[in-house]
Amino acid sequence: MNNQLNKVLQKQQKQISEPEKIIDDIVQLVGFIIGNEEYAIPILSIQEIIKPIEYTRVPQVPDYVLGVFNLRGDVIPLIDLRKKFNLESAKQSEDTRYIVLKGEENIAGFVIDRLTEAIRIKRDRIDPPPETIHSETGMIYGVGKREDSMLTILKVEALLKRDF
Amino acid sequence: MDDIQEILEDFLVEAFELIEQIDQDLVELENNPEDLELLNRIFRVAHTVKGSSSFLNFDVLTQLTHHMEDVLNKARKGELKIDHLVMDVVLESIDMMKELLVAIRDSGNDTDIGMDISDICSRLDAISKGEEIEIQEGPKEKLPPQEEQKEEEVDYSNLSDDEVEAEIERLLKERKEEDKKRKAAKKNQKPKVVQEPKVAQEPKKKPEIQNTKPASIQKAKTPVKKQTASALEQTIRVEVKRLDHLMNLIGELVLGKNRLLKIYDDVEERYEGEKFLEELNQVVSSVSLVTTDLQIAVMKTRMLPVAKVFNKFPRMVRDLSRELGKSIELKITGEETELDKSIVEEIGDPLVHIIRNSCDHGVEDGETRLLKGKLEAGTIELKAYHEGNNIVIEIVDDGKGLDPDMLRHKSLEKGIISEREADTMSDKEAYNLIFKPGFSTAAQVTSVSGRGVGMDVVKTNIEKLNGIIDVDSEIGKGTIIKLKIPLTLAIIQALLVGVQEEFYAIPLASVLETVRIPLDEIYTIEGKNVLRLRDEVLSLVRLSDIFGVDKVYENNEHAYVVVIGLAESKLGVIVDTLVGQEEIVIKSMGDYLKGIDGIAGATIRGDGRVTLIVDVAALMDLAKNISVDITADTQSAQKVKESPSDYFVLVVDDSKMDRNIMKKAMSPMGISVVEATNGQEALSIIKSGEYSFDAVLIDIEMPRMDGYTLAGEIRKYSKYKHLPLIAVTSRTSKSDRLRGVESGMSEYITKPYSPEYLESVVRKNIKLLAE
Repeated sequence: MNNQLNKVLQKQQKQISEPEKIIDDIVQLVGFIIGNEEYAIPILSIQEIIKPIEYTRVPQVPDYVLGVFNLRGDVIPLIDLRKKFNLESAKQSEDTRYIVLKGEENIAGFVIDRLTEAIRIKRDRIDPPPETIHSETGMIYGVGKREDSMLTILKVEALLKRDF
Repeated sequence: MDDIQEILEDFLVEAFELIEQIDQDLVELENNPEDLELLNRIFRVAHTVKGSSSFLNFDVLTQLTHHMEDVLNKARKGELKIDHLVMDVVLESIDMMKELLVAIRDSGNDTDIGMDISDICSRLDAISKGEEIEIQEGPKEKLPPQEEQKEEEVDYSNLSDDEVEAEIERLLKERKEEDKKRKAAKKNQKPKVVQEPKVAQEPKKKPEIQNTKPASIQKAKTPVKKQTASALEQTIRVEVKRLDHLMNLIGELVLGKNRLLKIYDDVEERYEGEKFLEELNQVVSSVSLVTTDLQIAVMKTRMLPVAKVFNKFPRMVRDLSRELGKSIELKITGEETELDKSIVEEIGDPLVHIIRNSCDHGVEDGETRLLKGKLEAGTIELKAYHEGNNIVIEIVDDGKGLDPDMLRHKSLEKGIISEREADTMSDKEAYNLIFKPGFSTAAQVTSVSGRGVGMDVVKTNIEKLNGIIDVDSEIGKGTIIKLKIPLTLAIIQALLVGVQEEFYAIPLASVLETVRIPLDEIYTIEGKNVLRLRDEVLSLVRLSDIFGVDKVYENNEHAYVVVIGLAESKLGVIVDTLVGQEEIVIKSMGDYLKGIDGIAGATIRGDGRVTLIVDVAALMDLAKNISVDITADTQSAQKVKESPSDYFVLVVDDSKMDRNIMKKAMSPMGISVVEATNGQEALSIIKSGEYSFDAVLIDIEMPRMDGYTLAGEIRKYSKYKHLPLIAVTSRTSKSDRLRGVESGMSEYITKPYSPEYLESVVRKNIKLLAE
């Protein structure tokens, strides 16, 4: 009896997940610049993008954690991606933004140099990360090939994971 | 099925409430075995639980409570006298009842834990049989259905499809049958059953009991109803989650209020005298007033009387005293004192530890007590009362007290403290040794206490609640342990301090006082900076060193010291500014920044900025590892000397001529010279910090303060430990030179001297090379 029921349930499950796959063939990303490179993050993991606001330094943390800031009453960590990627830190400019990413458990703001655009890319145009680059940190989800450039897609869960 | 679940939940909530009270009643009963009202109350508990559990088919529980009921019924009717032996058995059975209830709560039935109740039942029987035998029918009648039910339990998961069909078929049939029976029963007892429509829907799987014992269900249900009915009029049960949510919302409101106040202040400054300001003021004040009231009101809804925790102690003390062969009386006062639910839940375990310790180590046995001229029975007092925004819980015993020397000796033996620490330790500090990890004073480890883990866990738990624990004792008289705990955890009073450009909030509960001191009152002992505050020596640490704050401003010559205290330890924290006291709402910084050393959380201030809250306990630990010499640091902070005129030398001499001779002798170096006419003047110049001297030339013979005394005074300040002090004097005897060295002089120049000689000595001492 249980088996029969399970079969039916599985069939239903399949029907539900099948169409999702079709949609999933196109991935929507938000592109931004850090240093000289363009990176991207899946649009669904982004809670919001805000202009830089004041933050409070937190002691006893790695230097890429700038501190915490107040996002409408919530206290949220702020992470400098330049420092995280071992790039030279730069002064904040007009274009600097905080991207607030939301994972399953964590939420954090990330400082980026400038936004580029919303990107739609076919899933089959995304290659797994080359093994030599950043393989130790595992922050790269894949590399998107575009007509004139390459796009580094970041792994949101890895960015939000506390590694200290 | 939902109905059953609902009934089950009601049953459990009620049962746990009942047994909370029963322990205390029973212990009281032991002292007043004749108290009929108490007996009746206890009987009713057993009876209610029995009734409800049989209704819900918890057979093991039913059986157990039934036997209890028998004994209690006898006692109630005066046919049985309650003595210690009877009580032991009754208490044991109550414990088993509790265990069963917990099992039901966790697993939904009382059979899974496989508790064997036959032994206790037969003992209960024996007690009740001691007088009469006729009640025995009861249990016998009940045994068979339980066995029957076991057969009934079919493991559905292992059945094949056919078997399942057959099983369903069988159940359906059974149900039809049961319906018929019930209809019949309904006819017989219509008025009663209609009262309880749920009864009719409930027993689908296990119908036997329902039909064989309708009478007992009715009997049981009636008292339950009465009790809940009267309670319902005054209270509503609310999910804790909802209250938590409410509290969070209030937190937001408090932040909003703080913000509003801040904005009002700014507006007031800018538009002084404008008419709308007054209106705005009214609104702001009324909003802030209402917010405060609302916060208090919501806090009150979360308050529980501390009796919730205290209730279990009479029983515990009674059991312990029986076990230890001591006679101990527990006096409870202030059990109606209320505090936040989350705190009530947390203080139970620490209190258990403390009271156990008092019973085991504190109170002596009867003989010893009599020898000492005390009452044979020891007393432990458990007091709770409010004190400001805190609740204080005191555990007072009249036992043998703590022996500070023994404590020192013991901890020395165990390597908890060093010999030096033991020597310098005050009695009060010695008492606090009991909270050190790995400390246990009992020579013999008993089952009650003495595993050496107790008291330090107590301390950590209390500190987790931002509480303070304090011990006082007198040998032969007893011990007082005092817990001071804030009423609530979510919103606290905090002292806001500024460190360079940053702000931190220190929970006010841990702040003992704040003082402003000149930097040169800071001494150095063994590389640690200390401050003499009244009769105490206080360790000092800069908050900026702990939190690695960037140095933006120069140090003042004055420092604000926030004296923080946790339990026995105190620490002076140097900050740059004191901002003030504020009500803050603790916010978590999320998983990403959880558990950062020294930071308890964050709050949002009136200006919308985030301010971090200091974790006082962690701060004290961090401070131990900081060895930045505050005074040395101020010296190194000085600018680099570029020209000779950046060097300052102080000349102290009462004779103007002598001063001029010295100035002349040093003039070729091009250094700056400051003059003082006597020791006192020189000392105040040095203290003022106006100049930072590289050397001091001191005459010995001077009015008001002579050169030796001056040198001694200067050497007291750690930052002048290495300041060259050059005596310039006509006293040439050996004893004079010796005294000079003793008082801290670094060089000795005898008059008369050649200008070149003086110049070279000064040059050498201030390390200024000749061009």
